[in-house]
Amino acid sequence: MTEAAIKLGFPLLLLFGTYLIGSAVEKAHYREIRIRESRSRRFPTVNFRTPPKSWQIVGAEMVAGNVVISIDYFKRFIAGLRMIFGGRVASYESLLDRARREAILRMKETAFERGYNAVINVRIETSRLASSNRKGEGTAGVEILAFGTAVKFAK
Amino acid sequence: MILSNTEEIPGQTIREFYGVVTGSTVRAKHIGRDFMASLKNLVGGELKGYTELLQEARQEALERMSEQARSIGANAVVNVRFSTSSVAQGAAELFAYGTAVKVD
Amino acid sequence: MEYRPRTPREGVNVSAVHPLSELVTLVLGISLAVVVLVVAAFIVIEVVIRWVPPSFESRVFGSLWSADPGSEPEDPRQGAAAALLGRLESHWEENPYQLRLAIMEEESPNAFAVPGGTIYLTRGLLDSVESENELAFVLGHELGHFRNRDHLRGLGRGLIVSLTLSALVGGSAAESLPQVVTALTESGFAREQEDDADAFGIALVQAEYGHVAGADGFFKRLPDANADIADEFASYLATHPVSEARIENLWSLAAENRWRVTGELTPLPR
Repeated sequence: MTEAAIKLGFPLLLLFGTYLIGSAVEKAHYREIRIRESRSRRFPTVNFRTPPKSWQIVGAEMVAGNVVISIDYFKRFIAGLRMIFGGRVASYESLLDRARREAILRMKETAFERGYNAVINVRIETSRLASSNRKGEGTAGVEILAFGTAVKFAK
Repeated sequence: MILSNTEEIPGQTIREFYGVVTGSTVRAKHIGRDFMASLKNLVGGELKGYTELLQEARQEALERMSEQARSIGANAVVNVRFSTSSVAQGAAELFAYGTAVKVD
Repeated sequence: MEYRPRTPREGVNVSAVHPLSELVTLVLGISLAVVVLVVAAFIVIEVVIRWVPPSFESRVFGSLWSADPGSEPEDPRQGAAAALLGRLESHWEENPYQLRLAIMEEESPNAFAVPGGTIYLTRGLLDSVESENELAFVLGHELGHFRNRDHLRGLGRGLIVSLTLSALVGGSAAESLPQVVTALTESGFAREQEDDADAFGIALVQAEYGHVAGADGFFKRLPDANADIADEFASYLATHPVSEARIENLWSLAAENRWRVTGELTPLPR
């Protein structure tokens, strides 16, 4: 009885536990992201190369923001099942959405702290960090890098 | 929604710009496609299954990006860029981003 | 061109599906697919088996297993067991096999029906049976497996299922789920096989001795590893149904056919 319970119960418990913790972490992160985004609304972030003529730019510097996010057990399990059937992997989408917004925010905040007024020519790169066990098949995390040129207006 | 990967929409002027909008989707291939692909790996040639899969995914990413642009009142997205990356073995993220603007 | 601060709508880049409901859907979907696959494989095997005649089977597999090093019949029990096997076979009219008996050097009591027509008994089995009737039931049970071509089934099913599963799923993180579902489905079929073999075995015992006393001795003494696992689930996972259930089946069969359940037990030569 106990043997069967442990065999089946432990993975289920792990799944459920990581689901609860993971979704709590996610909600908290999203809340924080929304607050920071509303605070940095007035900071233009664009991806064209030529700044508007009305801007008089006196200084420029490349800035970057990056974040590495790990995939929790529950999301990984669902994705593994999903890869048998194909289709949209919903569990990863929210993860990447968060990571991207976080990276962009970090880039904006870096530019702001250094006294710049806008970021142009924003580029975003995503890459997967393979885990060192399991022959590099597993995913240790996903890195999102957002970089651009921060510009300073003449006052 | 006008999409363009140039800085300006040819023939039109940008009146307002709103910022970067993004659209992304994560898609997994299924075992059927995998099987056909491994067969194709023997003889070479186009992996039609994967081509279709990525095309659909890219379409959806562009759709989502346009959705974000629409929600802030833009009518065009300029400087559209794509980025494809694998997020797990067997799943890829299709990502499109650009700057949402209003043109006339 | 002027900048206007705007914030895009929330939730565009995420799917509005609740993770738990997605998990349930996926698990159910995969379990269903695996069950269908396993059942389909079994059906294919059934059809194939009908076309494999026992003579072909003996030719192909007989040579593989007949060479048995160290099977000098120095054990008088082996001769007696072989003779018993012959007598039991005589009650099986349509027996298409030339069956052989061989001894496996192994402590734990067990018996195997092997493709090609060989029945293996472990030395542990010969040591532990207390009467000829018991041994007769064990042999009869194995004859039942031969009659139903179960040994071929096991071979074929195992091959097909593991090949297809590994080709489709192999290597992904979630392969444990299909494996569990396969094991459960297969166990269901295996129990049915064992019950059928039991029924044939006890019918042979009745035909040979005129009563079925002592047939359950083997089960009574099986180390009941499931002793403390009283619930159905764990015993379902085992491919052999719990001994008590099998003993009950035997007695109800005997009651149905009105066979005598008491009688003299013939001892084995030592």
